[in-house]
Amino acid sequence: MRSVFTIAKAVFFDSIRRRVLLAVLVFAGIMVALIPSLPDYGIGVERAVFGEIALAVTFVASLVVTLALSVTRVPAEVERRTVYAVLARPVARWQYLVGTWLGTFSMIGVLVAGFTAVDIAVGAAVYGTPLWLLAVGAAGIWLEMGVVAAFGIAASTVVSPVTAIVAEAAFLFIGHSRATLLGEEGALALKAFYPSLDAFNIVAPVTHGSGVPPVYLASMVVVFVGFVGVLLTVGAMLFGGRDV
Amino acid sequence: MSAQAMPEAAIRIEGAQKVYRSLGKREKHAVRDVSITVTKGTIHGLLGPNGAGKTTTLKMLLGLVRPSAGTFEILGEDARTLSSRRHVGFLPEQPYFPAHLSALQAMRFYGALAGVPEDRLDGEVMTLLERVGLSDAVRTELSRFSRGMLQRLGIAQALLGSPSVVILDEPASGLDPVGQRDVRNLMLELREGGTTVLLSSHQLSEVEAVCDRVTILNRGLVAAEDHIDRLLDVEGSASVRVRGIDRLPEPVEKVASDVAFSGSVWEFSVPDRAVRAVVDALDDAGGVVLAVQPKRESLEDYFARLLARSAEEVA
Repeated sequence: MRSVFTIAKAVFFDSIRRRVLLAVLVFAGIMVALIPSLPDYGIGVERAVFGEIALAVTFVASLVVTLALSVTRVPAEVERRTVYAVLARPVARWQYLVGTWLGTFSMIGVLVAGFTAVDIAVGAAVYGTPLWLLAVGAAGIWLEMGVVAAFGIAASTVVSPVTAIVAEAAFLFIGHSRATLLGEEGALALKAFYPSLDAFNIVAPVTHGSGVPPVYLASMVVVFVGFVGVLLTVGAMLFGGRDV
Repeated sequence: MSAQAMPEAAIRIEGAQKVYRSLGKREKHAVRDVSITVTKGTIHGLLGPNGAGKTTTLKMLLGLVRPSAGTFEILGEDARTLSSRRHVGFLPEQPYFPAHLSALQAMRFYGALAGVPEDRLDGEVMTLLERVGLSDAVRTELSRFSRGMLQRLGIAQALLGSPSVVILDEPASGLDPVGQRDVRNLMLELREGGTTVLLSSHQLSEVEAVCDRVTILNRGLVAAEDHIDRLLDVEGSASVRVRGIDRLPEPVEKVASDVAFSGSVWEFSVPDRAVRAVVDALDDAGGVVLAVQPKRESLEDYFARLLARSAEEVA
């Protein structure tokens, strides 16, 4: 496991230096700061609207970073041949992929945590009480981005970054379109196999309700582990079969 | 030779083949049939023109490229296993490293991947950086490194973890003459310490200077393999160097070939059977015989002749 963590650490610190991260941070920071200046809503609704928009900004910002980081890493390392000095050592290709994913996922985690801290701080300043439940919603976003990153990394082992980013966007769209694509009844039996990402969408209960029960959070983690495990396994098989 | 007397192999490649296939295109045979055995504790040269299959063969050995056929062993272990790579250091051709890292950070990264224990890592990194002449650039970002400095770093990272087998792909590339000499000395030091070196190079003088044995590849096949002396020594001829005479005596002129005169020294080749008569004739003419030794072809000449012969065979 030392190889995995060594690679993850390298990926994490390399990702911090990417300009896309800084651009997204600045943009998202401005957006969150501007949310309270939106038109007034009815009493009791304001906080919910603030929470929804704050989580939406967090989602979009972390999605941009996830797309940018996950699909470019492996092709760039192969292209620049920096991967030779790694894979010629006792490092399995799956370890390389898992390390890459772990570093990217950690980076996204720091980003989401930063956004959430700003959201909560702004919320506290404007409404007088910190909106702690936003952290739970942000955790769902982080887990979802972990799945999206795993898909992007797996796809980028065999296709170009542009193709991988299109595939990743399609995966995200399909992942959130189960009801639309399968309908409520017609193809109900297929729902069990549908790769839905809706499990991670807990915006409504954390902004309009009283959050989600711990058992749901635990089951969300199980879904996350399942998705990431399958995607990285497929990625490792694809990457393992190709020449670098 | 009995099995017990066989020298132990550090690297064994048998029947390696690599065919690239892609839809709608002709198959490309990068490596057709290559077998190489590298004896432990020796420096083995891998030579060949561009596209001969040298780098592909090395990549197959290291698991970077999937072979179409063949078996690959490192220190008796199947090279496909990760454990076989614990004892191998590799310098890729024109090595690239993450440009934002410093030399120290890059070495620590590769050292950790090589399995160097944490408590020994910094010490080993500093020793190796000093050994390749980069001790003054430990904290310099690699984006500011020259081509030669990156090459030195590549060599240093290949030696992390004290590997028993070191594979160097064009190690002198990008180095100035002093750097090239340092690399030659380093390879000799490694052999002295019992390390096996597999050297792929275009620098024939480098190969001739350090290699015990060479394999020459051409068009994905082994064109020649032998001890360097046996490849280059010209059977039945001697090389003579003499000074102190303005022209060669007539009996010498009759048998001499490849005659060259430079800096008051004559150098020429004669058949072995004529050596005694030639020396006598030179002595009678007042010449001072500087050297008489078995004639040795330069590796450049041998290499060019071999490739020309291969081209003729193909034609």
